Amino acid sequence: MLYRTAGQFKTSYAADHALFPVRQDAILLGVVLVFAFVILPLTASEFAFRALLIPVLIYALAALGLNILTGYAGQLSLGTGAFMGVGAYACYKLITLFPEMNIVVAIALSGFFSAGVGALFGLPSLRIKGFYLAIATLAAQFFLVWLFQKWAWLYNYSASGAIHVPNITMFGITVAGPRAAAITQYYFVLAIVCIVTFFAINITRGRIGRMWKAVRDMDIAAELVGINLMRAKLTAFFVSSYIVGVSGALFVFLWRGAAEANLFDIPLSFRVLFIAIIGGLGSILGNYLGAILIVALPVIISAVPAMLGLPLASATVEHLNVMIIGVLIITFLIVEPHGLARFWAVIREKLILWPFPH
Amino acid sequence: MKKMMKTAALSAAFAAGVALALPASAQEDSIYIPNLSYRTGPFAATGTPLMNGQRDYITLLNERDGGLNGVKLTYDECETGYNTEKGVECYERTKENAVVTQPWSTGITLQVLPKSNVDEIPILAPGYGFSPMADGKVFQWAFNPPSSYWDGASMILKHISDGDLSNLNGKKIALLHLDHPYGKEPIPLLEALAEEHGFTLLPIPVGLTEMQNQSAQWLQIRRERPDFVLMWGWGAMNAGAVTEAAKTRYPMEQFIGIWWSGHDGDLKLIGEEGKGYRSISWSVPVPDSQLVQDIRQYVVEPGKSLIENESELDSVFYQRGLMISAMLVEAIRAAQEEFDTQAPDATQVRWGLENLKMDEARLEELGATGMLVPFETSCANHTGHGGAWMLEWDGEKFVKVSDLITPDREAIEPLEDKEAQAYAEANAPWPVNEECEM
Repeated sequence: MLYRTAGQFKTSYAADHALFPVRQDAILLGVVLVFAFVILPLTASEFAFRALLIPVLIYALAALGLNILTGYAGQLSLGTGAFMGVGAYACYKLITLFPEMNIVVAIALSGFFSAGVGALFGLPSLRIKGFYLAIATLAAQFFLVWLFQKWAWLYNYSASGAIHVPNITMFGITVAGPRAAAITQYYFVLAIVCIVTFFAINITRGRIGRMWKAVRDMDIAAELVGINLMRAKLTAFFVSSYIVGVSGALFVFLWRGAAEANLFDIPLSFRVLFIAIIGGLGSILGNYLGAILIVALPVIISAVPAMLGLPLASATVEHLNVMIIGVLIITFLIVEPHGLARFWAVIREKLILWPFPH
Repeated sequence: MKKMMKTAALSAAFAAGVALALPASAQEDSIYIPNLSYRTGPFAATGTPLMNGQRDYITLLNERDGGLNGVKLTYDECETGYNTEKGVECYERTKENAVVTQPWSTGITLQVLPKSNVDEIPILAPGYGFSPMADGKVFQWAFNPPSSYWDGASMILKHISDGDLSNLNGKKIALLHLDHPYGKEPIPLLEALAEEHGFTLLPIPVGLTEMQNQSAQWLQIRRERPDFVLMWGWGAMNAGAVTEAAKTRYPMEQFIGIWWSGHDGDLKLIGEEGKGYRSISWSVPVPDSQLVQDIRQYVVEPGKSLIENESELDSVFYQRGLMISAMLVEAIRAAQEEFDTQAPDATQVRWGLENLKMDEARLEELGATGMLVPFETSCANHTGHGGAWMLEWDGEKFVKVSDLITPDREAIEPLEDKEAQAYAEANAPWPVNEECEM
């Protein structure tokens, strides 16, 4: 039906390896991008920007970072929240030490701090695997949050221990801080997320991505065919932490506006991990679907009773919300244990074969 | 397949519609008062009675007087669970028609504070938030009456030293605090005072994850044997601390909490063993006051309250909730009178909060004699610095055991100025109220 591939012939290897072997995928992506870049900004309210669109993008980016490590390279990590924190604090220090620095440069650089820390805490992965590695990254989580609290230089010795985003302008437009308009911040985040996603797609389907997948599927076999395990694992940690760090900087600078160390504690790590797992490990699309489910859906659900005029107390709505999201997560995992991305893949496959069942 | 596609498309359209439409807007003939409440999560035990009190006071006005000068007050809660992320979401959700923001957590206050100058909605954070918010010239849109945390710290020290801080020379004072912006608030002032008066300050942080199990912290307290333990605790941490203190037989006479650590429910857990525990407070429950009787008659008896049993009515936190709403309503009333309007907007309510006069005569008119410390705000003074009383747990309830204590403002002001300036500089361009000449 919609996905009829008849008539789409590939006449070269390059065409066969293109990003979109099926034309409809490209069209669908185009529609999504038009939505993201044109239609949503025209229609969304400030609330929708700040409570739905921006957080979904930022969380999706964080999940994308984690997915590279866990989904593509098979290294379980529970330290995502802390690595986001490294990115955020690094960006804060860069901005306050060098107020002249362009914020894009600062965000891009802060990713490197996170990448360095991530690679350092990735060293144990050379010796230990699976749950044991998860515990090692958990140590990073505890240590870094402790460091954010105790190392007063990181938050410029402020009394509350919190960092605040000053007003930052770029080419005369305020992009971060309390005076920034929501739509500017949305476009800023969207642009960065699109660029990072583009690179992530191409890394994961290229030589490096194949190397990671080989390590994930069976590291001994990968080593036997000549893959350098150390390099594969450490690059995975490096690239993953870089993206996570960038998302952490965006998290604080383009969305929250202020942060304290506790923000980057374990619940954040788990939240990002849930997004990656429910979205689908080993996929790029899944991160976005997962973020929509985990981040945006609760906000939408809590607005429903007020829209329909149901006189429900806000606390009751919150309880219902937790229950509904919980049920949805369980349902999705039962229906499709490999996540929402796989769910979409199944639908797409059926559409290609339609009207034949097999 | 087709059906599935249709359902998917429909549900997507519905979700998008819900997401993009704004939350229901308030009617014109009412004043919209949102409250970022938390009746869920680890802090629900302490949050619920406060929110009940706030809610019931507004209900009382609507039921008894038909609103405020003929305008209905629309009280609306948005649940945050004390989570800053949810808090900011709630702020965005409610800000369109709001005349005030009540962020209800120091973390959320810190997030909302920088936005206050842009959105022009006053923040009312009674007895919490950032202490330098007292400087009304710098923090034009933020109010924390009647006392700030630094006032609280100063008053506790004044009380335990019998009015002369030099008596504390050589003593050791532990600060058991939540490891959160809230708990860290008093540290700069206490450090400065410790240096000046020669006592040792020992901050003992309690992480959010270890609130219910404080054995490590109390082991440290047993080892260090401080002369006094001050507590900046909240939610489940208070109950954890008082039970640990009772278990380790720490003398309760040396254990003093800030006003958020004086919750009846926490002390009831240990009952008699908690005798002697003190908590400083700018509000005192007066069960037989006219206001409480009216609440009973107009709100509780018709079943319009959310309280679970009547004993909650006499608790410190419920009655503090009443007083918080009373402050807000008085500010709105002041704005109504000054600007001769029925429904003042956020800017006008800001004026009301800046010219809030809660003296004893006014409290008596409200039927709330002795329930709140008298105070007065101005454009330069957004706290009022009304002082507080010391409450003591007698085994069953909290009773007032001191006269009005006032903070040592001379010691606090320089620090407040410094921090307020530092904040304004870090957040430049930060508009300062230059019209204010006080």
